[in-house]
Amino acid sequence: MEKQSSTKHPPPPQLLSAQDWELLTDDFSSGAAARRARWLTLPVLDLALAALHRRDLPFSLKPLILIMLEESSSLLFPSLSTLPPLLDSLRAFLLSPDPPPSLKDQFMTSATVILIVTLPSPLDPSAAAPLESLIGILLAVVHRPNHGPDRQSRAVAAECLRELELAFPLLLSAAAGHLWSLAQSERTHASQSYTLLLASTLLHIIHSPLLTSPHPLLSTSLPLLPFNVPQCVFSSVDDDREPTEGNLREIRRVLAFSLDRTPALTPCAAAEMVSALLGIVGALELRVPAVTALLKVRFSGLVYSYDPVLVHVVLTLYARFSDAFTGEDESAIARRLVLLSKDAQMPLVFRLLAVHWLLGSSLLVDERVSLSELALCFYPLVFDPLALKAKKLDALACIASREEVLNAGGEWKGHEGQGARPLVVKLFEDGLVCVSAFKWLPPWSSETSVAFRAFHEFLIGVAPSAISDSTIFGFLKGMLVKLALEHPRMVPVIAAFVDRLLACDVHHQVGEWLLQTMDEQLLPNLKLGYQLVSYFPIFERIAESDSIPPRRLLELLTRHMAYLTEKHGPDTGLRSWSQGSKVLGICRMMLMHHHSSRVFLGLSRLLGFTCQFFPDLEVRDNARILLRMLVCIPGKKLRNILSFGEQLPGVSPSTHSSSFFQVPSPRHSQDLKKVSGVTSYIHLERMIPLLVKQSWSLALPSLGSATNESSYSEGIRDIVVPASAESNKEYEVGVEKISLPSEPLRVMDSKVAEIVGILRKHFASIPDYRHMPGIKIMIPCTLSFEAEPFGRAWGIDLSALGSDGVEGLPALYATTLTFSSTSKYGSIPPCRIPFLLGQPSKAGLDIIPIGSGSEEDSNFRASVIIELEPREPMPGLIDVAIKANVENGQIISGSLQCISVGLEDMFLKARPPPDITEDGIPVYYLDLFHALWDACGSSSNTGRETFPLSGGKGAAAISGTRSVKLLEDTSDSLINAVEKHLAPFVVSVIGDPLVNAVKTNGILRDVVFIEEGSSEFTIDDANALVPYSDEQPLQLQYIQDEHDSTIPPDTTNKKSMGMFLVLIFLPPRFHLLLQMEIGNVSTLVRIRTDHWPCLAYVDEFLESLFST
Amino acid sequence: MSGCSIRALWILSPQDTVVFSRRFPVVEKRWLVACERERAAAEDLEHSRQTSLPSDPELASAFAERKRREGSARGFGIRVAQSSSGSDSWIDDPITRHIISLHIHREAEDEFLLWPLVLHVKGSYCILVLPLVEPQQFQAYERKCQRPGCGDSVGEEDSLSSLLLSLPCITGAFMVAHTVGDIIAGDTVEPEVIVGSTPSVGGLLDSLTGSIGISGISARAKPVSAPVVASTASGASSVGAVISDIPKSTTRPIDKDALRTFISSAMPFGTPLDLNFSNISAIKANGFSASDMPPADLKQPAWKPYLFKGKQRVLFTVYETIYAAMYDRDEIPDVITISGQVNCRAELEGLPDVSLPLTRLSSAHVDVLSFHPCVQVSEQGLDKQSMMFSPPLGNFTLMRYQAFSGLDPPVKGFYQLSMVSEDEGAFLFKLRLMEGYKAPLSMEFCTVAMPFPRRRVASFDGNPSTGTVSMTEHSVEWKIIATGRGITGKSVEATFSGTIRFLPRTGQRIPSMSRSVTGSVVEEDSDIEQESTNNIVNIDEYLMEKMNKDLQAVDLEEPFCWQAYNYAKVSFKIVGGVLSGMSIDPKSVSIYPSVKAPVEFSMQALSGDYILWNTLGTCPFAVSPEIKR
Repeated sequence: MEKQSSTKHPPPPQLLSAQDWELLTDDFSSGAAARRARWLTLPVLDLALAALHRRDLPFSLKPLILIMLEESSSLLFPSLSTLPPLLDSLRAFLLSPDPPPSLKDQFMTSATVILIVTLPSPLDPSAAAPLESLIGILLAVVHRPNHGPDRQSRAVAAECLRELELAFPLLLSAAAGHLWSLAQSERTHASQSYTLLLASTLLHIIHSPLLTSPHPLLSTSLPLLPFNVPQCVFSSVDDDREPTEGNLREIRRVLAFSLDRTPALTPCAAAEMVSALLGIVGALELRVPAVTALLKVRFSGLVYSYDPVLVHVVLTLYARFSDAFTGEDESAIARRLVLLSKDAQMPLVFRLLAVHWLLGSSLLVDERVSLSELALCFYPLVFDPLALKAKKLDALACIASREEVLNAGGEWKGHEGQGARPLVVKLFEDGLVCVSAFKWLPPWSSETSVAFRAFHEFLIGVAPSAISDSTIFGFLKGMLVKLALEHPRMVPVIAAFVDRLLACDVHHQVGEWLLQTMDEQLLPNLKLGYQLVSYFPIFERIAESDSIPPRRLLELLTRHMAYLTEKHGPDTGLRSWSQGSKVLGICRMMLMHHHSSRVFLGLSRLLGFTCQFFPDLEVRDNARILLRMLVCIPGKKLRNILSFGEQLPGVSPSTHSSSFFQVPSPRHSQDLKKVSGVTSYIHLERMIPLLVKQSWSLALPSLGSATNESSYSEGIRDIVVPASAESNKEYEVGVEKISLPSEPLRVMDSKVAEIVGILRKHFASIPDYRHMPGIKIMIPCTLSFEAEPFGRAWGIDLSALGSDGVEGLPALYATTLTFSSTSKYGSIPPCRIPFLLGQPSKAGLDIIPIGSGSEEDSNFRASVIIELEPREPMPGLIDVAIKANVENGQIISGSLQCISVGLEDMFLKARPPPDITEDGIPVYYLDLFHALWDACGSSSNTGRETFPLSGGKGAAAISGTRSVKLLEDTSDSLINAVEKHLAPFVVSVIGDPLVNAVKTNGILRDVVFIEEGSSEFTIDDANALVPYSDEQPLQLQYIQDEHDSTIPPDTTNKKSMGMFLVLIFLPPRFHLLLQMEIGNVSTLVRIRTDHWPCLAYVDEFLESLFST
Repeated sequence: MSGCSIRALWILSPQDTVVFSRRFPVVEKRWLVACERERAAAEDLEHSRQTSLPSDPELASAFAERKRREGSARGFGIRVAQSSSGSDSWIDDPITRHIISLHIHREAEDEFLLWPLVLHVKGSYCILVLPLVEPQQFQAYERKCQRPGCGDSVGEEDSLSSLLLSLPCITGAFMVAHTVGDIIAGDTVEPEVIVGSTPSVGGLLDSLTGSIGISGISARAKPVSAPVVASTASGASSVGAVISDIPKSTTRPIDKDALRTFISSAMPFGTPLDLNFSNISAIKANGFSASDMPPADLKQPAWKPYLFKGKQRVLFTVYETIYAAMYDRDEIPDVITISGQVNCRAELEGLPDVSLPLTRLSSAHVDVLSFHPCVQVSEQGLDKQSMMFSPPLGNFTLMRYQAFSGLDPPVKGFYQLSMVSEDEGAFLFKLRLMEGYKAPLSMEFCTVAMPFPRRRVASFDGNPSTGTVSMTEHSVEWKIIATGRGITGKSVEATFSGTIRFLPRTGQRIPSMSRSVTGSVVEEDSDIEQESTNNIVNIDEYLMEKMNKDLQAVDLEEPFCWQAYNYAKVSFKIVGGVLSGMSIDPKSVSIYPSVKAPVEFSMQALSGDYILWNTLGTCPFAVSPEIKR
């Protein structure tokens, strides 16, 4: 039909054929305006009325036309004036002998529908005429009770009248008497329609003023026809007067009659009847005693019917007149509803509805019938459809929640075996058996959904405030933990379950509790292994939740990372990458959702370990970036940044993060707040400002033990106790394992032996600071103070001191600076400055004596050397406290601005052993560089070697880390920067162009220059790290076997000018090796170190180095 | 409002186009007036929009949209990950698979919600019926859909349950939908009644044609299968294709004329008055003549428009359908339940009352009894109930019951299947049939089917001790007792052991969309998969694990995921008696006013889901409190 294009023009009116009519009715019945529109150019109404009388059209078509008129009546009958032709047509049609009775009936129905829709509601007197005309026709049909052949037509006409009465209340009130006698006399099946008509009429009468009028309600004194619309239809007056006794009696008679007729009604008609009777009885309830009981007696038996409509009729009655029902009736109804749900012959939907009805009737189940008695009936059966199982579980949940309330505070007897199970748990467990297959079916199975829905229902059935102590929650927690342990595949579903609770305002806390339980009970019981990844969905939730201390999870993840690292082999590359990345994803989530202080310890450890040891380069890189973010970005900003990164796919925030590091350190702002009075005018400043402006410190946790002696990062062990891994605390084990791969044997070739020899020699010259003075670094600073504010603060009258020059300035006497630091800098000796003159304020002096600058310096500034003996080469802050005497005898004390210690402060030249001659030193350094470079490589053969330190008591092991840094800067500026800042540490310059450039500058001396082509270094090295060429972007091949690169090395430095080799000694015993491949536009710095934490700072240092 | 009125109904084809629609303007006007009143009362123009009915294309596209959003025509039913606020599954109740809402998008207007739409799926058609509710009830649902948080907990005030309780129109609309469904599927046959051993007696029309003699109607095909038989037939076929949402029957065009006529008579204005298709079509076809005199002193009930004339008799047939879950395990008791019904055909003149005592109910283990609306239960007791009814014309189901078996299961024993390798299994049946059953109970046929819906059977090996074995692509069928060789008064022992080979499984991965039928989207992780295979020692477990990977979620209308289990399904028919012991003594049937009419009584029992679970595998079960007691 729809294919008939709407562009086709409709045929001329007179030719409208049967097919055209079919098309037309179809277009109209679709309700689509577009399809109807094309016919509206025709006088459709006139045509339709004519067509009904046309003999050439088949009879089967005419009902279609009538229904079309009905359904489109609002369109086709825009005004009352269109109605008379319709009614004329109807009258003629009914009189015609041709149409079959069913068609006549249809016409009556359709005309009624059209009138009801067209006439205004409420009715106004102007619209009465067509109505009277129609009712006249209908009453004429109705008014022949017991006539044989047209009984169906009479039934239809009575229905039409009833609809009119329903649409325009009280319309037939005047005819009530006649209707009453008709209903009494009709004996065919049509009597149902008469009875319903009577009941509907009565319903309207009983709520109207007619009831109180002295006229008898059911009088037949007026003739039925002609029919006039009674005035009461137009007016709606309320009347509080008492109904007359006679009217009440009449009504009771009609009521008795109607009740008597109910067994003869069809189920649907019975529902209609009850709906009318509810209104009638409701109005009579107070005036006629026991009328509700009458209703109950007549209808309550219907609850035993298998017709759901009738069952619902009883429920409606009960809901309205519950007082009429005895306790016995009520329990019968409740029982009946339960049994209805068990009736396998019922369509499923009615079985579901039965459960709903029972649970929905709070009157029934709360007050009258103890639901618990019905509990056994709600046990799902094995062949019950899953929907019904779900619904029955709801019912059990409902019972359980009531039980929970009744036995509030009841003991949780979970450990006393099956017999002592609380009822709540018993209901839960027994009910759940029917979907227990969810444990081994795939997580998307319907059984799983039903089971978890049941968990949810049981849980939220308890009042939110009582959940935490409820039996069911206690049980459910344990069960979910067990479930997760035994069936890892369930984890995503459990996570979704928690999500749903978390998403709810009311039950958010419950979700948190569940996660806490998982954290406490699940995490400790998980086995390490690749399958741990199944649990990540839960870990993610735990990581997100700020109510759960992240310690446990971090420990587990750290151990997992260690496991991954340990198990790493040729086949597991992808897996290591995937799982490692996921772990980092969780770390990132923690960063986002926790205060940094909370996660700092565990997370920095995990990330530190990862960026040092994890086999996959990308993961290492990401870990390093996260670590840097953790360390140097304030929490709030960090979360912003990370949630910005959330929009990027994947977990890795690596690519775009460098721009985020311009954020100033939190320390500064904090320190500014702490600035006390003293600091505003007394200044201790570094003489050489730090390259890296911000000061932050990676305070590595003292891993494991309170005493620092066996800490990993210290890396010095007593020779007597090799491999002290066992002595360390539990969660360090993972780390130790990696740093000390347990190889029992090692083979050493001559080259290795040579390296080891060099290293031994080198390490032997390093003092073991535990037993002798360690290597110190010096930080030169200057102390000064401003005279004017100082004077103001200490009440010294500057003018009193003298009028001009030095005399007029205040001074500090016997100043003592004491230093302390949270960083591991050993004890820092205090400084004493006997005398310091205040600095005259510059604004106050009009004339500055020429040439007095240097003199002034020495007077106004005292140079202070801070001497550190670092235990670890770490940037940090040194707190400075000052104590001094003022002229007037007062003692100043307070703390000054902290002094930042940068990584560059730690840079020292390696100490050459005494037996090396002056000339031999460059070569020695180069050899040492090569030896250390090799030792810090991953393929190192020296991993197990320990190197005794000077003093003979301690020994160090080298465990190297590598990194890479790309600097996008021109070669000139790079060379300049190196010459300026790293000159003392350069051990070798390699490559013609570079050598030439450097030699021209002449700054670098005493280094080994190697001409182009003689370097074997680059070749070795390219194997170990990601090759770089500036023609293509830097690519990380995560599955690349790092030991076995296939890319020819010479592609890597085609455009490079050459290399700097830089050897930096970091006290107390570490090294930082840089190999800078200088290219024309960019420089690749390969970094190796035996102190991985410093990498975090090296990055930054290099950036600052070359950007200055 | 306790009645039921319908604003509109639609029938949609599998292609989501409206093939039939009917709107009821009178009811629609009531709705609009009610909305107007509500709006006036609320004094809030925004709150209750006056929405007219959608056109067919609008409805069809809204339905298609819901289908897409909710995974299937019925929807998720349970709140899942994909459920969005405002959708049906957000409500988190399985009933929302039957009572749905549609978001209608209309050009140049805002989207509006249509609720409650009663959805009945029949064959490949979807029938949607929109009953009239109060605007407040509509708003209550709308709020419920939008409500954030966990959703209803059971028994809460203004829960979905109490809303449904206050809406008899939904119940009525379902009755309409089911009747309409039967009409379009041609399932309008009356319940079967057996006379002696002869085939079924026809329905109302036959009795009419017998008495009135209009030959035109008797040309209508006789009812071939009664609902009882039909239900078992579908039960049997469900073994093979349990999960297919797509109905097996070919799409048969709907008889719009029959439907239109039915609707015009059953609910001319949208308010259903009579949903008895037999009566309505009889009136439509026959009409009434002057010779159809109403009874002189009594009033004819509406459900009996014609009176019977002719030779009088009363027929009763008890049908039982046996559902069994046989485990043969110590820890799980076998479960046998019986669904029974007593069908009746009372060919009695006038409007007589028939009374009938039901005795020995407790020894018959009858649990649920429900009756035809014409029945009045005069005496209620645990063991005995008396009932009286004024029978309608034609065949009708006098009562239905649920019972437990009074006898031993007619087929006892076990089925074992053990997978030797991925494609080969050894199986063993050991069955006893009709043990303890005395004449006249006789088993007409008995067949055991081993369905393997997810494997293709390559071959099998082994001979049964009795009967014949045949093989189809996805099952092996063992006919223990062939039709026509029924056994009476003796028991049969049957064993069958052998091996079965399957064709190797082709890597059939389910498309990810169909996995989300119930919607738990689970991210697959190759890491987990690799690992889990290594941990399983037992080959059965390994295979199970492997097979379960591509199991699809079943519809909530299924009791469980059939495909996850190995089982054998027994089909049989027992005549001459029933298992529950339900019985009617013809002598105790009395008719008032008294007439001499013979009373005939027959019984038969058929298997429903009669399942022998593989004793060596997993099986679904439930805790049954009855047995514990």
